[in-house]
Amino acid sequence: MLVGVALIVFFISHILNPDPAVLWAGPRARPETIKAVAAAYHLNDPLLTQLYYYFQGLVTGNFGVDPQTGRSILSEILFYAPNTLELVLASMVIIIVLGVGLGYISGMRFGTKVDSAIRVFYLTTWSTPYYLGALMSVLVFASYIPLFPSGGNGAVGFSYTPITGIFVLDSLLQANWPALESGLYHLVLPATTLALLSFGIVPRIMRSSILDTRWSTHVKAARARGLQEGEVRRKHILRNALIDTTTVIATTFGWLFSGTIIVEQIFAWPGIGQFSYTAIVSDNYPVLVACVFVFTVGVIIANFIADIIYPLLDPRITLGEGG
Amino acid sequence: MSGEGKRLRRLLFSNPLSLFGVVTTTIFVVLALLDVLTFGKITPFSPYLVNFSQANLSPSLAHFFGTDFEGRDIFSQVIAALPVDMGISIAVVVTSALMGIVLGTLAGFFRGIFDEVIMRLTDMFLAFPQIIMSLAIAATLGPSLLNVSLSLIVVWWPPYVRLVRGAVLAVSAEDYVSVSKSLNSSFLYIVRKDALPNVLPSVLVYATTDIGSALLTLSTLGYLNVGIPPAMPELGKMVSSVTYNLYLYPTQVIIPALIVMLMVAGFSFLGEGLRESLDVKLRPHILIRGRGLDAAVGDLTKKGSGAGPTTSS
Repeated sequence: MLVGVALIVFFISHILNPDPAVLWAGPRARPETIKAVAAAYHLNDPLLTQLYYYFQGLVTGNFGVDPQTGRSILSEILFYAPNTLELVLASMVIIIVLGVGLGYISGMRFGTKVDSAIRVFYLTTWSTPYYLGALMSVLVFASYIPLFPSGGNGAVGFSYTPITGIFVLDSLLQANWPALESGLYHLVLPATTLALLSFGIVPRIMRSSILDTRWSTHVKAARARGLQEGEVRRKHILRNALIDTTTVIATTFGWLFSGTIIVEQIFAWPGIGQFSYTAIVSDNYPVLVACVFVFTVGVIIANFIADIIYPLLDPRITLGEGG
Repeated sequence: MSGEGKRLRRLLFSNPLSLFGVVTTTIFVVLALLDVLTFGKITPFSPYLVNFSQANLSPSLAHFFGTDFEGRDIFSQVIAALPVDMGISIAVVVTSALMGIVLGTLAGFFRGIFDEVIMRLTDMFLAFPQIIMSLAIAATLGPSLLNVSLSLIVVWWPPYVRLVRGAVLAVSAEDYVSVSKSLNSSFLYIVRKDALPNVLPSVLVYATTDIGSALLTLSTLGYLNVGIPPAMPELGKMVSSVTYNLYLYPTQVIIPALIVMLMVAGFSFLGEGLRESLDVKLRPHILIRGRGLDAAVGDLTKKGSGAGPTTSS
């Protein structure tokens, strides 16, 4: 899987464009710069040699040198990645709580006004482009009603020793309460925005799974056995519905990562999303390719985690394996 | 057939959600078509006309949506951008759906090595985050309408292959297909008579909603100034060109973005309405990586066996 994905990225970055050196050097580069870039990135070698260098780079974690800052791309990505992770994980928590909750309510109140209201809500947030949602929440909640800061991750002005690089987690670990407060305060608006704009499919699937299980025979059987309503709902309806929802939650990681490019830029959040945005607008092709690769690996890891959680939720799988 | 059509119409128009979908999508499609057919003559002003004495006007009767920092009429720009946004999204979805129908049918019928290869490839392409992948391809290929469409199609086809293949597998397990096979019907005959009628409603429903998603991604590429040629009007690009005016003139930024949102919502609601009226149960986990293919087939074969009222996802 990873190898295949790496091959596709290689195809895009090295083969798709007839003259990759121009792309890597930027559209306004002088001919001698283009030659130097081609030599530095081995772009004139035979494809197989290029492929060798490419995979060697990936295995050793060497994405090359950022042509604009002169630092290694890996060190820059390692600097930005924890911030993106903080934002994405915070959004994920919001998505799980809100998505599963709303989907559950909507499914259990099928056909009522509450159901329609929730459906309109998630269909609308799903239809909102990231840039509109992010710009609006900055405009409304940071400017018109100044509840939250409009940008940054709150780390400015605090001296702290990075352990994980995730600001909120670090300040928690070191019991630095003012830093933690600032971190959380800065996190709320971008995380909520990112979550709401990406979560549409979660309540949708939750709702339809609830509707599928609500009237199924095993739920009737559970009621017939005299189980209490709360227990039926918790163990037989909710748990069943969570199985489908888990797989879908994993796919929303793809949308979250895509969303960070816009949301981080608008909220001035120092993460990979903003890093790749800068790379795009400044024609920094090597960095862009590295970011695409990192994001994709992130999605693969998320899917992998979902594959692990999945059997935990579905007792049929463990039953089947145990005989 | 006409009874079916009447039922469809009644369901689409009785539900406020899908009614909204039908009305919005019709309005935008008609506007886009009119603009193309009249060669851009329906716009009240030229979308490219720069007039600094009229810069940054608020919405009024003369300029419905106001003017931007160069005095260009935003309403005219929006109209001029509609065919681009709408056309590319529809083209991307139609091409992907066709690819999905061809590859999915072949994979579902012939199984074996061919199936294995197609599904591995599909899984690989599904792993890429859509916006990020098409961003990379569009940036590599350089700005042009064809390139930006290609960059979207590359990430858009995999779900359709999964959808069609699953449905074809489910259909081939049915008795009437075995009978058809034993009667020595040709492959194309079986596909046309037995498989496609069972597959097309799901593809149609999925594709309708999907036009909205394609539009979202396209306009995000536009917002990032990737793939769309410089002189081409595009809604996302309009937004990004005036973002720095957000605090001073919020309407300039919000209006084009709201149009995108309306169009996307229109297609989503229409898709929801179609799904309810065609009684298609879409199991999204067929479309995504992670679960065994046989599980997906099992879900499709048991489709319609659930008790309770008709549900939609």
